[in-house]
Order: sequence, then structure tokens, then C-alpha cells
Amino acid sequence: MKIETIQFGEVEFDPEQTINFSSGIFGFDNLKSYLLIKTDDDLFYSLNSVDKPELAFPIVGIRVIDENYPSEAGHEAFAIVTLNSDPLKITANLKAPVYINQEQKSGFQKVIDSDKYPVNFNLFSATDVSTNETDPLNTGTDRMG
Amino acid sequence: MLILTRKVNEEIMISTNLPAGQGGITIKILSATSGSGGLVKLGIEAPAGVQILRSEVYEKIIQSTLDATAQSKIKIKDISALKLNKIERGDGRS
Repeated sequence: MKIETIQFGEVEFDPEQTINFSSGIFGFDNLKSYLLIKTDDDLFYSLNSVDKPELAFPIVGIRVIDENYPSEAGHEAFAIVTLNSDPLKITANLKAPVYINQEQKSGFQKVIDSDKYPVNFNLFSATDVSTNETDPLNTGTDRMG
Repeated sequence: MLILTRKVNEEIMISTNLPAGQGGITIKILSATSGSGGLVKLGIEAPAGVQILRSEVYEKIIQSTLDATAQSKIKIKDISALKLNKIERGDGRS
């Protein structure tokens, strides 16, 4: 099966790879079928609608932001990302995460009603020290585990 | 829209007349203050999996998702020199 995406051009895939969102995503309740596409950098993925291929959401795995984020058994938590030409203004929605079970190919979106998790969480800040912390995937090993 | 008037401590049942444990939703008026700036405290019982949201939170989420799709075509500039913000354990920072 093939779809024409904006980010990646024509994408060919096996229909069994699609992730089924039985309740859709808030605001797009009627779109249930998505492809999870890995992008070139290690941080972002694209959740691309199969039924409406021009619709795609950049998403980021929440575990690298918060190890203690509410979990759902078998699912990985992702946040929908609003990109910006200024990377310091890129935000992730931690209040309405998208949970994906890659084994069962299913997903859902849910609201976490806690002040700890905003709708617009700034993903990046400039490094204040120009030496070590240049790796955005630095897992902060100086913290107690 | 169905409009009902209730007194404090009265309840409303939604989606069958079953209690929450059997699939129904119950809303109880817990307290109410008067005047145009009045506040109503509602107690809601619903089955697990039924999402209960303040409407303005839902609207904000929808808008954020719409913004995300509008901006999704932007090519991400070099982020290798930036630091990923993290939420630390329980100290309320960031």
C-alpha cells in the first residue's frame, strides 16, 4: 500500500504496520489509522494519517523528558510536537499524550489532568556551558537512579 | 441542550439509569455559591475510561493539535547544540 506524505514523499508500507486509534485523536476523531514513521534524527517520529496522508503530527517519546511520566501497560508515551523555525520555541503537549502499543499496533490519546504537565512544554533550551551538554539525548547520569 | 435545575446534594444520572459501577454516569451537586461569578462544585462518578474534562482544557488541546499539524512541515534546524529540557522528579522545577 502507498501513500503520498508531505515529509517523506511516497511511502510504501504493509497495511499490517498501521497503528489503529479506535477513538482517533482529539480534533480528528474520525481518522483512526496512522503510520509511525521514524525521522532522520533520533528524537522525533512522525505520526502520519493513512486516510488523510497530508495530515501528520511530529511526536517525541516522553520518556527522555520525564522518566516518571504516567505509563500505560504495553504502551509508549509520545507527545505531539508543535515545530517552530526557532528551535527554542518548539513545544510538546505533555497534557494530552498519545500512547502507542507497537506490538499490538494500537494507540489512544488521553488527557493527564495535572498541573505538572502543560500543553506547551518547551523542548529545548540553549546550553549555558558550551562544552559537554551538546547531546539532546543526554540521559543525565549524574542524577540518582 | 437539556436543562435541569438541582439543589445542592441532588444528583443527575446519565446514559442509562445504572450506577457508575454498571456503566452509568452520576453527577452530584456538592455546593454552589450565588451570583454571576458563582461557583458550582460537582462530584462525578463514571466508569474507568470515560474521560471527564473541563471544556477549556479540551479546547486548548485541540488548538495545540491543530497548531502542530499546521507547523508540521517545518524543517527542524540543527538541534545538536541544544539541551533537551527534562522534568525532574517531584521538585516542581521546570
